[in-house]
Amino acid sequence: MEIKNIKSTNIPAFFDQMIKSGKVVIAPVLKKSGKVFFEAVQSYDQVSTDYIQTGFSAKSVVFPKVEELFSFKKDDEGIEITNNLHTIPETVVWGLRPCDASAFNYLTEFFLKENPDTYFTARKEKTTLIAISCAKADNACFCTSVELNPGSTSGSDILLTAMGESVYIELITEKGKAAVETAASLFTPGEEKSKEEFLAKVTSVFSMDEVKVRIKTAYDSAEWKHASMGCFGCGACAFACPTCTCFDIQDEGTQDSGKRLRCWDACGFGLFTKHTSGHNPRTNQTERRRQRLMHKFKYSVENLGIVSCVGCGRCIRNCPAHLNIFENILSVTK
Amino acid sequence: MEPKNQYIPYKMRIANIIEEAPLVQTYRLEFVDEKDAAQFSFKAGQFAEYGVFGEGESTFCIASSPTREGYLECTFRSSGRVTKALANCELNDIIGLRGPFGNTFPIEEWYGKNIVFITGGIGLPPLRCLIWNLLDQREKFGDITIYYGARTVNDLVYKEELEEWKNRSDVNLFLTVDPGGETPDWKGLVGFVPTILEQNPPKSENSVAIIAGPPILIKMGMPILGKNGFENNNIYTTLENRMKCGVGKCGHCTVGKTYVCKDGPVFTYDEVLNMPPEY
Amino acid sequence: MTSLQNKVTELFENGTINLLIGFKEAIHKLPVPCFIDNVSQVEQLIFTPSCKGNLSVYLHKTEVKQAKKVGILANTATLRAIVQLVSENQLGDIEKTVITLNTNGELVVFATMDELEAYVQANFPELSEEDKKLLDQLNAMSRTERWQYWTEQFSACVKCYACRAVCPMCYCSSCTVEGNQPQWIKVSSETTGNLEWHTMRAMHLGGRCINCGECGRICPVGIPVHMLTVKMNQDIEAEFGAKTGFSVKNGYALNSFKPGDKEQFIK
Repeated sequence: MEIKNIKSTNIPAFFDQMIKSGKVVIAPVLKKSGKVFFEAVQSYDQVSTDYIQTGFSAKSVVFPKVEELFSFKKDDEGIEITNNLHTIPETVVWGLRPCDASAFNYLTEFFLKENPDTYFTARKEKTTLIAISCAKADNACFCTSVELNPGSTSGSDILLTAMGESVYIELITEKGKAAVETAASLFTPGEEKSKEEFLAKVTSVFSMDEVKVRIKTAYDSAEWKHASMGCFGCGACAFACPTCTCFDIQDEGTQDSGKRLRCWDACGFGLFTKHTSGHNPRTNQTERRRQRLMHKFKYSVENLGIVSCVGCGRCIRNCPAHLNIFENILSVTK
Repeated sequence: MEPKNQYIPYKMRIANIIEEAPLVQTYRLEFVDEKDAAQFSFKAGQFAEYGVFGEGESTFCIASSPTREGYLECTFRSSGRVTKALANCELNDIIGLRGPFGNTFPIEEWYGKNIVFITGGIGLPPLRCLIWNLLDQREKFGDITIYYGARTVNDLVYKEELEEWKNRSDVNLFLTVDPGGETPDWKGLVGFVPTILEQNPPKSENSVAIIAGPPILIKMGMPILGKNGFENNNIYTTLENRMKCGVGKCGHCTVGKTYVCKDGPVFTYDEVLNMPPEY
Repeated sequence: MTSLQNKVTELFENGTINLLIGFKEAIHKLPVPCFIDNVSQVEQLIFTPSCKGNLSVYLHKTEVKQAKKVGILANTATLRAIVQLVSENQLGDIEKTVITLNTNGELVVFATMDELEAYVQANFPELSEEDKKLLDQLNAMSRTERWQYWTEQFSACVKCYACRAVCPMCYCSSCTVEGNQPQWIKVSSETTGNLEWHTMRAMHLGGRCINCGECGRICPVGIPVHMLTVKMNQDIEAEFGAKTGFSVKNGYALNSFKPGDKEQFIK
């Protein structure tokens, strides 16, 4: 892998050069609420450097909370259908954590492997991921349990690791190499070395190998009820999750002109599976939470060979009841 | 060639409207664009997303047989926002159609076998496609038996076709209505479909059964067939969970790891038994 | 065992309750709700000032209603919610045993609703300093500024409906926001539709909200959504003298009429 170094004092120059080159740069920004969220910025001054994890993941760059599938207009000739795929700009996501970046591997596999998704493809092609290793973690972080770590390169185009005065840069993909070319003079060639001492320590809470085996027979575990009774049935976990992909399709406008949208949805909502007849295949919250967790740890492994939880801890931090996914996985696979 | 954008619908013209039963209609649809018509093909068992622009999409099977070319038919009950908007459409209106989606009935594997259909209410439309598909190549199959019932006489769909099947010597039709749903001149059976099935069991030898309808009919009917000697892999059903995308992405129709829309909607009883009961 | 655990054990053993809704410490050290249905699980129970959640929302769950004899750990907000829910005839089928900690940190178990109501009235909470400050700021704004403030806040809403899910007063089995015939409020998350949703919810809660602040506290994007109803409650109290979660006999100020009301139109 190609390694480069950059002085930490030169990071703002690199960052602003990407903006000058015409890219939309999405970065962590501290909001009035005290929480940090990804949003498009105009300069490095706006970027937060002190955060363990952003409130929501970076998935919205490739899977926005609302995506216009097409707009339509009726006239005497019939109906005209158009979409805006051609307007998607070159985008850089700056400062996502390695767990989030690795989620893009899953998203890509999910959206493209079978029945490839036009909108995801278009956005993914234009997106460069510049991740930053984690120097800090909290009690909700559990990346090491799902076989990642605070310095994983999986999914990123570039991974930055702060090492004192200097930043160690791993150029993982061609896209990553192209991104540093925008400000080539700021970088010096480097050599591969251990990042260990600069990374947060995240203790592993379970063995993924054991969980993968035990979850096969976990469907009927009585523990699902204990794990789920506190679940309010909101979408806070799913919307914040870097790998949750469920969506709704909704039309807005009139029958003469309007648009068809795809909007984030969540399997935890009671209406998610409800038939028009009133019949509901998943009648209670225990069944719904089981579906969400089994999808992450069992179904996505069976369907795509990937555990679709990256241990970012957002579902734990965002849950109004503070339900803990890894505690639940531990209890149902006991 | 770029893969097709699965969310852009074909434009379809409503070429005929048949009132089947209270709130139930059949639309015959023709492609507005001949190029779409030329490249479109489907097989029995598949479904589509039918959309009214500005209102949304609704999921139903394709109710006409692939052996009848040049058009598609769908039969739906007006109950939600989209189906109500669809019901308000008029002849020659343009609606959207995406599909065909999902897997198909393995008709070729059934050559030479007896075929049993069990269905209720508007569970008949998904099987009507298959029934006509088989009847249009009648010589390739053994006995064909149909158990069909509805809440009331008025709720039976495809009344003319039921009459035609009743009069055909190569079709056995058990036509029933729920107790209390009969009219004074009703000449068919009275009783719930599972009851009629238990009282008049089909022979299981060299037979395949296909069951479709509300989840309760599927959940009750499959074990009855099992008791009558049908092997689980000779019992087929078509599941109808809530769906949005039709292509295995939106997550609404999942039953465990299974996406009804792309892994189904056609499943054998064996496959159903291996799923969580979330349908 | 703590005095709480002893008390709960006693309540199970003498048949007063067969389900207790309480808190335990999760693996990541934060309190999470727990549902205890036998004595062997009592040891996990905790009840500390960090137990901020309003557990009364779980009283609407089918599984809880089926248990019939239900104990619940209640902070002050939970007590108010229970009073308000009783006044709205929502807890009829449940035999409730409500347990709280008084200001001295002592366990109090209410034998009757009258006792609970008297306790709430004697210990009626004030708005938190933080909320008072924000309310003052909002009141000081011009209409235009306030509109801008809320527009900006709600543009970040993702419609996860966590605010509704944690609200003990949002107990409708089917919510207006999900009705689609007609589609009153857009399903997609965008500023106008988000504003419509939160305005609609606030209008349904004005004079019913018990100021627990949960909706604002748990909002994943940090919108102080509770301030809408806090403000409405303040206005309703000023106009009609009605406090929410104060009396089990309290009618709903906005649909009850008193001869002394200022409005003349009904006379």
